[in-house]
Amino acid sequence: MSELMLNPWIRALFWGLVMITGVMTVTAWSTWFERKFAGRMQSRMGPTLVGPLGLLQPIADACKLLQKEDLVPDSADRALFNLAPVLTVGFAMGVAAVVPFTPTMLAADLDVGVLWLLALSGLMVFPTWMGSWASNNKYSLIAAMRAVAQGISYEVPMVLAIMVPVIMTGTLSLSDMVADQQKNGWLIYRLPLTGLIAFVIFFLASLAEANRIPFDIPEAESELVAGPTTEYTGMKFGLFYMAEYIHTLLSSAICAAVFFGGWDGPIAPGLHWMLLKSVILFVFLTWVRWSFLRLRSDQLMNLCWKYAVPATLALIPVTAFYTVYAAGKGGV
Amino acid sequence: MGWFDATFKTFGITLKNLFRKPSTVEFPAVQRERAERYRAASFALLHDENGEEKCIGCKFCEWICPSQIIAITATPKRESPFTGKKRGYAEDFTINLQACIVCELCIQVCPEDAIVMTRDTEQPGFSREDLVLTMDKLYANEKTTRLSWHTGAGLMEMQNPQRGQEKPAAAGAEDKPA
Amino acid sequence: MTAIARARAPRPDPFLDIDSYDPEADLMVMNLGPQHPSTHGVFRVLLYLDGEIIIKAVPYPGYLHRGVEKLCEKLTYAQITPIVDKNDYVAPMLNEQAVNMAFEKMLGVEVPPRALHMRTLLAEIQRVASHLLWLGTFAMDLGGALGGGTSVFMYCFREREAILDLFEKLTGCRFHYNTHTVGGQRHDIPAGWAAEVHRVLGAISDRIDEYEAMLSHPIFLKRTKGVGVIDAQLALELGLTGPLLRASGVDHDLRRDAPYHIYDQIKDLKVAVESDGDCLARYKVRVVELRESIRISRLLVDNVPEGPICGGRPIKQPGQFKAKAGQVYVGIETPRGELGTYLIAGGGKMGDTPYRLKIRPPSLHALAVVPYVFPGHSVSDAVAILGSLDPIMGEVDR
Repeated sequence: MSELMLNPWIRALFWGLVMITGVMTVTAWSTWFERKFAGRMQSRMGPTLVGPLGLLQPIADACKLLQKEDLVPDSADRALFNLAPVLTVGFAMGVAAVVPFTPTMLAADLDVGVLWLLALSGLMVFPTWMGSWASNNKYSLIAAMRAVAQGISYEVPMVLAIMVPVIMTGTLSLSDMVADQQKNGWLIYRLPLTGLIAFVIFFLASLAEANRIPFDIPEAESELVAGPTTEYTGMKFGLFYMAEYIHTLLSSAICAAVFFGGWDGPIAPGLHWMLLKSVILFVFLTWVRWSFLRLRSDQLMNLCWKYAVPATLALIPVTAFYTVYAAGKGGV
Repeated sequence: MGWFDATFKTFGITLKNLFRKPSTVEFPAVQRERAERYRAASFALLHDENGEEKCIGCKFCEWICPSQIIAITATPKRESPFTGKKRGYAEDFTINLQACIVCELCIQVCPEDAIVMTRDTEQPGFSREDLVLTMDKLYANEKTTRLSWHTGAGLMEMQNPQRGQEKPAAAGAEDKPA
Repeated sequence: MTAIARARAPRPDPFLDIDSYDPEADLMVMNLGPQHPSTHGVFRVLLYLDGEIIIKAVPYPGYLHRGVEKLCEKLTYAQITPIVDKNDYVAPMLNEQAVNMAFEKMLGVEVPPRALHMRTLLAEIQRVASHLLWLGTFAMDLGGALGGGTSVFMYCFREREAILDLFEKLTGCRFHYNTHTVGGQRHDIPAGWAAEVHRVLGAISDRIDEYEAMLSHPIFLKRTKGVGVIDAQLALELGLTGPLLRASGVDHDLRRDAPYHIYDQIKDLKVAVESDGDCLARYKVRVVELRESIRISRLLVDNVPEGPICGGRPIKQPGQFKAKAGQVYVGIETPRGELGTYLIAGGGKMGDTPYRLKIRPPSLHALAVVPYVFPGHSVSDAVAILGSLDPIMGEVDR
């Protein structure tokens, strides 16, 4: 078995299947969790009827979505319209390949894992745009323009923010990053504390990429009905919905790995720590979502270009100088 | 407030509400106790103590109904088998609940307290006919459902303009202000 | 013209033909409504958009027209109360009061002091419920149906449910009460109701602090401050009343300026006035009113005088009220402004039905600002402005 796993193709296939199954399952139940959490937060019950505590609700939802009539508007571009939901889930799942859960539980230990990650989250904008444009709906059109503006803008602080961990650990591979943190302490509290600021900005940027409140400008229900998904029905809508959750979950996992030391932790095996950290971050994300109002799109752009980008630009030289200085002194 | 303390305060409020008791109940399984005066959009016709229909077919409710959903066919006056007095009867009495606006005016005007509303909340139906209350259904409701507090006489007593001037104690403890 | 240049250009007359705005026809035309999550019913605004900036807005009310005024001409005075309940379905109590006050004035029926006191009390409690609903829906317009806005919405509805429970205890219905009648009230206060009112309103006044804290977040301020400014001049020209007028800096409240019921006995009625005229000012005015109404209700509920609740003969027959020919106007202050009832009685053979019953809904006048205020704002702001106007389409379209 272990010799077999040394073959990168077999290893990738095996862990890829595990990841897809795992992520899909977790995604399904994270919708249950979010609904329950939001319900309790709003003095409601949340799902209760399907199964104990409503635990089978995701299955019921999937069945419902599958039974829905699959509508394609007459004036829509049929090919692009159908392609968009598939691509969005594909890109969202692709990120899972480089998320290091344990040193061995890792679909692809890429040397440039960070680049892969950034490339795929950058691509996430395109299916949204494609689907909105293809649906030939005015609400969707405005949503598409908002999504593109927001996605591309927030890509910049995201890239710059993740440069801080890259400089501090000196590697582009996510698993090496975690290994480095295991040795020298988590980035979130490592001097010169730029990791903390970088984490906040990275976290906000990934919120914006995942279209979560307070950054859900493209999907603003009260303004644009349902944004890019206005014309989508049934499982195609379900795929968009799923991609949002996958993206959110994987963002929390990546933040946990890059800034919170991944599998590093006492007593329990690494996987437990990694999952615990990811879950805590996901709960926090949910909490943010159900607590805040939404910004306007121009205010969101202001936040990005006037605050986030200059802040990250300042962080990089500070981190670089400190890292070189510390290396000169003999410590890291 | 600055961004930071406002953000933390918001988190605090949502967290506080997370641990409050839910204000909703699992509806079909648990039902909230409705108020004593609750009136739901269903009706019942009553019998008097002799077991005779109270409705005398005076058609006041048919005239007052703003939605005109009540249809009554009255019979000519005849002698009552119990009291021997001459009185009218309703031959047919239909209420079409599809347009009922629950205004309670039919109960208010009834001189004989013959019609009352019910307190049971649900009255769904699978067809339109289910929402048309025929005379049989109305008299069946008297036995099968919980009846509302309101009656014509009760409402008239409550709205009596001379109330509190002649006989202060007659209003009854229930109607007294707290 | 670029979007920015167009937004900064002096505003053209909103009633000019669209060709004078858009000679090259390069604007996008978008329907906001009638089927839209945040038009508070079925209201349609035709938006001419340059990018996301609104250049021209044309409101189209009327999708909820039910012919209530015409219907009232066929109904007797006793039957009209439950019908007008459905006009402003967020504050039905005040609709009932408005028509019944007009009928009483026309028919010359005296209302006993206990009924007047109860009417004042019910109006104030209903104002709390109505403003709570507005607060929730406004937060939802700003915060989306799947986010923090819904949390505020749910909290507000939770408190409002408690108030509706109070009304259920009193009248038997949660919403379309039909508890007012010509000459007074139909239902008397039940035992223990005052204590309930104190409990519910006390809890709400504590909780309002929470919502205020939640809505004083910088995100909320950014979304509302300086958005949708209605200046005092425009507000007066368009006939705005109520919180909208007071948020524009005009100190006008019918409860104080033309007292009805027993409002003249409430000496320290605080009327909130803000000068900015933007969404934030409207929010502030309504929150102050919310607290003030809670305070007044808690005062009133302790001092309800003894006595009968109905002055005239209680309703016993369809055509028992006969009016002489004449006309009256009655205006009362609802949560949305002045609700006017103009009644022309026919007299003679037509004495038991109104010849004409004209209702002046405050929301219709509020919606008149749309063509003036929307241009220059983005679609997101349009939703916020529409929310802050608090239109109830039931009374706009009647």
